[in-house]
Amino acid sequence: MTLSRRTFIKVGGAALSLPLLGSTAFGQEKLKIGFIYVGSINDNGYNYAHNQGRIFIQEQLGEQVETMFVENVAEGPDCERVLRELAQQGCKLIFATSFGFGDSVIKVAEEFPDIAFEHATGYMSGPNVGLYNARFHEGRAICGIIAGHMSQTGKAGYIGSFPIPEVVMGINSFTLAARKINPEFTLTPVYISTWNDPAKEADAARAMIDQGMDIIAQHTDGPAALQVAAERGIIGGFGQGADMSAFAPDTQLTAIIDNWGPHYLASAKAVLDGSWAPGNTWEGLKEEVVTMTPYHSKVPEAAVKDAEAMRLGQIDGSVAIFTGPIKDHTGVERVAAGVTMTDAELLSMDWYVEGVIPPA
Amino acid sequence: MDLTIAIIVTVVGASTPILIAALGELVVERAGVLNLGVEGMMLIGAVVGFIVQFHTGQPLLALLAAAVAGVLSSLIFGFLTLSLSANQTATGLALTIFGTGFSALIGANYSARPVPLMDSVLPETIADHPIARVLLGYSLPVYFAFFMVFAVWFFLKKTRSGLILRAVGENDHSAHSIGYSVLGVRYLAIMFGGAMAGIAGACFPLLLTPQWAEGMTAGRGWIAVALVVFASWRPMRLLFGAYLFGLVMTMEVYIKAGGGLFSAIPAELWAALPYLATIVVLVLISLKRDASTNAPACLGRPFMPGN
Amino acid sequence: MMQFRLEKRAEPSKFMLYATPIAAVALTMLVGVILFSAIGYNGFAAVGEIFLTPLTNPYKWQELGVKAAPLIIIGVGLSIAYRANVWNIGAEGQYIVGALAATWVALATHGQGGFWILPLMAVAGAIAGMAYAAIPAFLKTKLNVNEILTSLMLTYASVQLIFFLIRGPWKDPMGIGFPQSRRFDVAARLPNLTVENFGFLGDGALILKGLVERVHYGVPLAIFIALVVWFIMTRTVFGYRMRVVGAAPHAARYGGFSQNKTIWMAMLVSGGLAGLAGMLEVAGPFQRMVPGFATNYGFTAIIVAFLGRLNPLGVIFAGFVLAITFVGGQIAQTTMGLPDETTGIFQALMMFLLLAGDILIKYRIRRVQPDARVGAA
Repeated sequence: MTLSRRTFIKVGGAALSLPLLGSTAFGQEKLKIGFIYVGSINDNGYNYAHNQGRIFIQEQLGEQVETMFVENVAEGPDCERVLRELAQQGCKLIFATSFGFGDSVIKVAEEFPDIAFEHATGYMSGPNVGLYNARFHEGRAICGIIAGHMSQTGKAGYIGSFPIPEVVMGINSFTLAARKINPEFTLTPVYISTWNDPAKEADAARAMIDQGMDIIAQHTDGPAALQVAAERGIIGGFGQGADMSAFAPDTQLTAIIDNWGPHYLASAKAVLDGSWAPGNTWEGLKEEVVTMTPYHSKVPEAAVKDAEAMRLGQIDGSVAIFTGPIKDHTGVERVAAGVTMTDAELLSMDWYVEGVIPPA
Repeated sequence: MDLTIAIIVTVVGASTPILIAALGELVVERAGVLNLGVEGMMLIGAVVGFIVQFHTGQPLLALLAAAVAGVLSSLIFGFLTLSLSANQTATGLALTIFGTGFSALIGANYSARPVPLMDSVLPETIADHPIARVLLGYSLPVYFAFFMVFAVWFFLKKTRSGLILRAVGENDHSAHSIGYSVLGVRYLAIMFGGAMAGIAGACFPLLLTPQWAEGMTAGRGWIAVALVVFASWRPMRLLFGAYLFGLVMTMEVYIKAGGGLFSAIPAELWAALPYLATIVVLVLISLKRDASTNAPACLGRPFMPGN
Repeated sequence: MMQFRLEKRAEPSKFMLYATPIAAVALTMLVGVILFSAIGYNGFAAVGEIFLTPLTNPYKWQELGVKAAPLIIIGVGLSIAYRANVWNIGAEGQYIVGALAATWVALATHGQGGFWILPLMAVAGAIAGMAYAAIPAFLKTKLNVNEILTSLMLTYASVQLIFFLIRGPWKDPMGIGFPQSRRFDVAARLPNLTVENFGFLGDGALILKGLVERVHYGVPLAIFIALVVWFIMTRTVFGYRMRVVGAAPHAARYGGFSQNKTIWMAMLVSGGLAGLAGMLEVAGPFQRMVPGFATNYGFTAIIVAFLGRLNPLGVIFAGFVLAITFVGGQIAQTTMGLPDETTGIFQALMMFLLLAGDILIKYRIRRVQPDARVGAA
């Protein structure tokens, strides 16, 4: 990282002239884009993926844009302050990449009506606040198909952080898909109450494997579970957020990649040409916001065929995993045959489908 | 049977770093010093151990480097609290903040990289039988931890140096007046504690999960500090306590993954359990109140020679 | 060859007492220049961004106030406890429990409105903080259990209590299933200052436009509390007792001061203030309980208390210094790409240097000839 001349001038200027509006642009027309992350860009998962998206637009648009980011931003007053800081630095487009930033985004967006804000995974929009999200559950369904084919015990484990709708949705999508292949398939979620405790993730994976689960999936940041799967030599697991095959080359059957780049690029271009309007996008495989890494060579042909059918079906819209009949884990029908759950229903999902052995 | 064996193996893994770090802290506290920087030193040990393992693939070298890093970071604490008689509580906390930030900084470019785990001491074929697996199937730090429990016990109980160390912790002024170097003993104790914390930290990438992640010790340094009190400053009880903690932490995930009656216990209660259990044990030992369960008399008190 | 040794002062140096924290901050900046240069940044620019930018931009002052307020309130409480040699390091837990109690009041009165809700939340927060601090106090006075460990363990338990409550009974019915409480009613939100609050300045108040509107009432309250506590500690019998017990426990016992009573007072006051800070934070900037509510203010306040020399006035200064490092650290991330971790390293460094400087209060450094070095350490 090199220090730009700009920064030095800015600091010198700040000390001398008490600029009331933060740094003023020194005659440059670059579009400044700010990102705030809830965790570290080195988490190998969620925040890493967002930062890759930032790097992508910087590469694609080059001199036209200047990106900046702040990592490890806590929700609440810290987030509010950082949003204002980015606004005062001259950002005209700001991405707030975590659900918990919602209140702050709405508040600060009111103060800066000419700045475009985009909030990931949230639900509150405004005249200059757009929402965006990714259909990770589409990738989960592909993993579920592979798990249904390959699991010999018919039991999979799923390590989650907290039972938020996004995690629950992923669990359900995975299970629905797996049971299309193996109707006896069950999935046990274990919540470990933290996003970042690799040793605990690893122990949870060990506990699952020791109790007969031969496929492990996880919705926490990092490859710990996959590493344990490799160490124990079970059938396999899945990368989450990023390609984790480096950590478990013979165990990662495929990985779901968060690919925010295309969305970020589209928003940046829209701001550049003045066409930006607050949207509410929830994109997935079709828009390549969610992508899969190549299937491992040990995934059998039949599984690859069904997984591809699931992938292509979701891309062309012929397959929607959350289509009835869907029963919940107690056997009560929640979605009637032929009915597809709405986005709003999915985004607030707090029940488990049949086949999930629900946690407390 | 197989499940029991598997659980034991996981418990041993989970307990080992806590046990090693707590043994170091036990010696430090027996010398009359309270170092709350264990978590920070563990993180520094973890990142240094990881980096060395990543570049050399030599786990013994990685453990050694982690120990050295632990010693160096403990010397910051030692210099401030001993030579400059700074407040130990505050210095220890600052050391933890420092270790957290420093390890994240030097580990920033290592997060997306795997390392090989440390091999078990004996070839896998020997450890094939379940009983042999439970007894012989581990890598070096596990046996090191057991050995150190005995070594620390022997040192404190049976050697003259151990007696001096205890004397320094019980009554610094009289130890000083007999001619022992209170500060010298305490420096050595703090360095030992640093080395052990460093090794304990390195156990995370070498033994438990072969990666580097920021803050990957996730509060276990604090459990180690609590354990010393839990064990009422005795190595053998520490062994028991560390394994009890490891068992509680491990049973949580096994019960959740296995379903059944106890899986109805909320995740939050499980997570709070080790800490609440420590408080209960603190209460229990203080209820017993025989002389041997009491803390070293000089714990946390600065000592300035010549006053 | 010249040698140095430490010589005890007859009286603790007042000059050093106040000079060392300032020197620690200055030295931290100097070491920061070297450190950042060593890892490949422009060291001067980096330190400038962290320490000067937040100060040179008046718009940042209110951000500093918002960040400093909880640190000051908790730090003031801790400084009382530490003066009395009571080592409450669980302020984070007391802060959390205080906020939870306030949240409970806000949720229970949802839809009712009324001027009494905010004061009730404040009282609930303070009482909850006290109650949580009473556990270590009880265990310390009755069973002689180390308060450092019990207060810390309770902190970890309190974090889990947040998760439990917002995942279950307090989950926002409108929050699409995300574990957080509903947003508080207007009556349960701590308002921000307005220019009208400064009407006593006449037209002069207009100059404050844009400079106070983001400051909630907790900020002036924090400074007010610090001043009140300063008055109590220096001008009343209670304050005298707390200081004597800490400075000379034996003398205090002979003087008829009960040590147990002092422990209780110290824990209750520090716990109550931490609980109040929790209420102000949840009712002010957050306005709902969220999983990320706990942000280590209770631990950072320990640094604040020490940096402020356990003196409430010093704590105000120290609270702002720490706030500057947080705010400036994030500015440096946006302008220079300075890694986030440096903020923690910086704070630890400041603490190390401050603690190192403590020795100069009671001792002076003497240059001695080697042959004259008799009886030195």
